[in-house]
Amino acid sequence: MERTRVNITVGLFVVLGVLALGYLSVKLGRVSFLGGGGYVVFAEFPSVGGLKPGSTVEIAGVEVGRVESIRLKNYEALVTLRIDSGVKLQEDSIASIKTKGLIGERYLRLSPGGSDKIIEPGGRIREVEAPVDFEELLSKYIFGKV
Amino acid sequence: MATLGRGGFAFVAVATLLLAGTPVRAGQPTEQLRVEIEQVIKVLDDPELKKDGNANARRAAVRRIANEIFDFGETAKRSLARHWTSRTPMEREEFVQLFADLLERSYISKIELYGGEKVDYVGETIDGDQATIKTKITTKQGTEIPIDYRMLKRGDKWLVYDVIIEGVSLVANYRSQFNKIIVTSSYAELVKKMRDKQEEFYGVEKQKRTSQR
Repeated sequence: MERTRVNITVGLFVVLGVLALGYLSVKLGRVSFLGGGGYVVFAEFPSVGGLKPGSTVEIAGVEVGRVESIRLKNYEALVTLRIDSGVKLQEDSIASIKTKGLIGERYLRLSPGGSDKIIEPGGRIREVEAPVDFEELLSKYIFGKV
Repeated sequence: MATLGRGGFAFVAVATLLLAGTPVRAGQPTEQLRVEIEQVIKVLDDPELKKDGNANARRAAVRRIANEIFDFGETAKRSLARHWTSRTPMEREEFVQLFADLLERSYISKIELYGGEKVDYVGETIDGDQATIKTKITTKQGTEIPIDYRMLKRGDKWLVYDVIIEGVSLVANYRSQFNKIIVTSSYAELVKKMRDKQEEFYGVEKQKRTSQR
């Protein structure tokens, strides 16, 4: 009798542990089930240099969504963003790829616009800013003067 | 303000777009922009206007063409972004004027440094009533500066509302600056700041002119 109780307790702990691990991996891996909430918008960039699926999308430093996927289209990068459903994006919003700190990770910053028109789910952000490539700039000023 | 400085530098380039571009099946907005920019260069290269006494006439001529090229109202609206909606029509009008002055102030002195830079029209994409014209300025030192113009169709004319230099958007730059000022103090403070700067600039200009005499 005593043994069965011990076994059950141990079993419960193991199950709990597995569940906790599952929760952790979902949280840390930022996996979203069933496509997640919110809605999708697209943005085309000449280059995304370092932006990755899972990178954060921020307005005023607050996370409002994530980069869902990045594909190549006509030799440009087509970025799919999943935005929280409460957040409305004006038609003249600007999407810029920025770096956290000087050498930090890339994220996508949205600066809200002033238009009355709202970007519908599945729509496109037309105003984009590609990341500034410091190496390229540097080499321009080093090698520029021929 | 570093971006502003760089923007200024590149605005030289804006003014310096040249005939050198290759005419590869250029669409309507490109053609229109090319003609207008050639006009600016013509003014800047005019030996008569280059004389010291004619600085004002030269500026006026450049300003006149700039008014043809740019939709300052749209640029101002987009730069003020969400704060634009809460402005009265009068405030809007005033702001557009102040903003046009600000742009002129920031870039006109740079534009006058024009020295025969070469301009290539690299590409054009049209999406409904919006267009992006990609250009490349080559300085005499051989440095290449990519400049993109974002244009809107108004009637049958294309007007520039944003200039993207080395990937940095003019509207985005001013939008974050204006937003910061309005959020930390107020819209009135922003207008006051812009007005003070304008008066200060004219003061300095006047001094310069009197000291030259």
